[in-house]
Amino acid sequence: MEEFFQQLTNGLAVGGIYALIALGYTMVYGVLKLINFAHGDLFTIGAFLGLTLLTSLGLSDHMGPLLGVIALAVMVIVLVGLIGFLLERTAYRPLRNSQRLSAVVSALGASIFFQNAVMLIWGARPLVYPHNILPTTAISIFGMDVPLVRILMFSTSLVLMYALYYLTHKTKIGAAIRAAAIDQGAAKLMGIDVNRVIALVFCIGPALGGAAGVMVGLYYGQISFTMGWMYGLKAFTAAILGGIGNIPGAMVGGLLLGVIEALGAAYISIAWKDAISFLVLILILIVRPTGLLGERVADKV
Amino acid sequence: MMNMRTLLLFAVCLLLLALPQFLNPYWTDVFNNIGLYTVLALSLNIILGHAGLFHMGHAAFYAVGAYTTAILNTQFGVPVLYTMPLAGLLAAVFAMVVARPIIHLRGDYLLIVTIGIVEIVRIALVNDVFGLTGGANGIFGIARPMVFGFKLKKPEHFFYLIWGFCLLTIFFMHRLENSRFGRALNFIKEDDVAAEGSGIDTAYYKLIAFVLGAFWAGMTGTIYAAKMTIISPEAFSFWESVVLFTIVILGGMGSIRGVLVGSFLIIGLPEIFRDLAEWRMLVFGLAMMLMMIFRTQGLIPPPPRKYDVLAYLKEAAGAVGGGRA
Amino acid sequence: MKKLIHALLLGLVLSLMMAGYSWAADTIKIGVQAPLTGKYASEGQDMKNIVDILAEKVNAAGGVNGKMVEIIAEDDAFDPKTAALAAQRLTTSGVVAVIGTYGSSITEAAQGIYDEAEVIQIATGSTMVRLTEKGMKLFFRTCPRDDAQGAAAAKIIKEFGSKRIAILHDNSSYSKGLAEETKALLDPASIVFYDALTPGEQDYTAILTKVKGSNPDLLFFPGYYNEAGLLLRQKMEMKWNVPMLGGDATNNADLVKIAGVDAAKGFMFVGPPGVNDLDDPAAKEFLATYKSRFNAMPASIWSVFAGDAFNVIVEAVKKTGSTEPAKIAEYFRTGLKDFPSLTGTISFDAKGDRAGKFYRLSKVNEKGEFILQ
Repeated sequence: MEEFFQQLTNGLAVGGIYALIALGYTMVYGVLKLINFAHGDLFTIGAFLGLTLLTSLGLSDHMGPLLGVIALAVMVIVLVGLIGFLLERTAYRPLRNSQRLSAVVSALGASIFFQNAVMLIWGARPLVYPHNILPTTAISIFGMDVPLVRILMFSTSLVLMYALYYLTHKTKIGAAIRAAAIDQGAAKLMGIDVNRVIALVFCIGPALGGAAGVMVGLYYGQISFTMGWMYGLKAFTAAILGGIGNIPGAMVGGLLLGVIEALGAAYISIAWKDAISFLVLILILIVRPTGLLGERVADKV
Repeated sequence: MMNMRTLLLFAVCLLLLALPQFLNPYWTDVFNNIGLYTVLALSLNIILGHAGLFHMGHAAFYAVGAYTTAILNTQFGVPVLYTMPLAGLLAAVFAMVVARPIIHLRGDYLLIVTIGIVEIVRIALVNDVFGLTGGANGIFGIARPMVFGFKLKKPEHFFYLIWGFCLLTIFFMHRLENSRFGRALNFIKEDDVAAEGSGIDTAYYKLIAFVLGAFWAGMTGTIYAAKMTIISPEAFSFWESVVLFTIVILGGMGSIRGVLVGSFLIIGLPEIFRDLAEWRMLVFGLAMMLMMIFRTQGLIPPPPRKYDVLAYLKEAAGAVGGGRA
Repeated sequence: MKKLIHALLLGLVLSLMMAGYSWAADTIKIGVQAPLTGKYASEGQDMKNIVDILAEKVNAAGGVNGKMVEIIAEDDAFDPKTAALAAQRLTTSGVVAVIGTYGSSITEAAQGIYDEAEVIQIATGSTMVRLTEKGMKLFFRTCPRDDAQGAAAAKIIKEFGSKRIAILHDNSSYSKGLAEETKALLDPASIVFYDALTPGEQDYTAILTKVKGSNPDLLFFPGYYNEAGLLLRQKMEMKWNVPMLGGDATNNADLVKIAGVDAAKGFMFVGPPGVNDLDDPAAKEFLATYKSRFNAMPASIWSVFAGDAFNVIVEAVKKTGSTEPAKIAEYFRTGLKDFPSLTGTISFDAKGDRAGKFYRLSKVNEKGEFILQ
């Protein structure tokens, strides 16, 4: 039983990261109906930019670990948001009125481009974040040792998720985002500048991915130029699991995916872990074709 | 007009026939890969291009075919090319079993499920499922195929096998496009509710599209296994499916000529960029984006279907008029 | 529209013709097949860099038999199809021999092509046993085989007196091969855990928790340094102090960087000497050149094996005065004895494997350095 709870916390910790990346996926999808395959690579860029800023500016030395990490996250969020904005302008906007899958291919091209750009800029070897930034103490919860960093990371994920939920559901801008997601034409008629909404979404989504990249770098220590592909796929899975386009759905999907992976590895087979989580996904979709929290869209008639 | 096209077709075929004489083995092999991907992409085109089903797991069916051939040949000594129908059949049965419960999923939900299927297949292969697939090492020592007592060995031999099969596929796909089945699929792509309303059993047609596409991909798997003589799970990763998906979309969904040009570009460009060494994939990614931006509907989108409505009406009116007289 | 297609076709045909045409020059061409892109790009780029440096040095000293050495590097992207193309391209560019490649299954996809084209291939990172069991006359390797290492690992594990051993591999052909070779030589009753993780992930706590549940007294991980580093780090966070033993692919300075000195301390691995253990003066001088140019040491010993391959090819061409593959292969089998190169002395046995045993146990000390035991 103790092992079960241990595995549950392991799963939730990973799931928090999946959820954070899935949020960016789902936001972009909600408004543009575009599967942004480059999202995982924006996450990678966030991790590498974070490392460069951290070591070149010596943030944690000047400001102390907590402030330093926050300052770092803010910088990365701004930079990756900017890259996301430029990506939308150059690679996706010209395709907005064509068939949906054209933009998917453009996104795949962007993914290849970013991945190789990271390789050429930072080299093909995995890089390592400095170790001494985050505290290594563990605290005991119900007799289990849980590293403090995991708890910090998980709560940061929750805070970011809530901030996003607040933004989309409680503010005027959020209302505009949701309006554009439901019907761009109608939103335009209501006086919403849809282009600005899309640009904003394309800043926020990748920025969250970038923030997740910094968190992964700080916590796991090791980052490599290919890691975005795997995280992107997992996040996409998580977003679909929860019902893509739905913000609470991405959170639930991410956490659930993490837990399924941990429990699948623990009780069935480690080697088949990913196959198990895909199988669960397929079974869930057979029962609920639009994911757990996805709206039941009636067929158009 | 028709004559011009036939003539052009003949000229292209002749050119193909003569091509290996002018190319070194490397470029012949590049053409082989292009041909292989063309056939695979054409088989995906039935599902993705004609029926409009978001399918990003085609490598799974291709893998089933290739592994069928490899196992039959290395374990039971069945000559490679004889395994081709069975490879196709097994892939088709596999497609039927996995596609049946998911066929009603919409758009992106289907996309992730097909990704899931290709990943499950790859993981199964790596884990040496049933002790038959050889795990990560794969299966080696697949015999070279014999055609009328002649052993296919060199790239130029395979060139004729692959492009012969490719021409056959193009012919078949062309017939399919203009068949009742092909038209029904296009209807489903444009509006599946209306198609359902017009009496088309959409679930059935979608399933048949999957099965047919898988059958063809499975047969291509045989050729791949024969050409490489060793197969391993890396060759059937999710990325392969992405490449095929890209070829179909970039070429222009549902267009045979588009798929041909698409595979020339997607498979050929990285080879042309070889001199760029580690820069080559960066340039390739950029090229992919640019091509899509400048041709948003794909390189050669299929022409809209044309029906001579007036003639049809006249004929119908004539029939009615004739009845009256 | 038609014009565009025509233009594209014309362009393609023209570029084909250009590429098909090769300039005859009087150089000795040596091919390098390596993963220059993709997930093992760091290894492939190191391989190319090492061979480039060595070739420059040879050329600066007047070349081989009065001819300059020309290196032609082709990317195989760690993909069998790309590897087959790279092999075709190298064989048509008139190379004498090919150095590489890294992954075993990738080497195997290219092996037949080199063999049929009668080009020498010297694999540098492909440890799969069966590669040299096929009777190919022109295939050699400068790296060891899985079974030799498995035997060495099993011997060391027995010496530890471990009673409860957990084996965790990563399902790659190298890692699984080594795990199986080792497992076969150990008492089956002593193996309490055997499974594979998914490489390329970052969170292995779920897996470690499961392994911990089987209560082993030794964790053997015959995988790569990336995952090994993460395992060590996360193991320490769980406050689990089981000793961990790795294979030769963990022999990489980055392991300590990833794990942190505290977590890496006490980690052991079996393998050929690592980059930092090379004490031969020529090797040291070479590594200094490498470091001054690329600002880092080669990440692992595997890429240095590519340098070994280059050295033996040059030596064979010098000694035989010929670039004929059959003569070179003959020289490798019979003439080349204890040739001093970067990773030690090199001889090949009848199968084309590197002769001699050079497995040793290393341990990470308090400062995070690898110390030979």
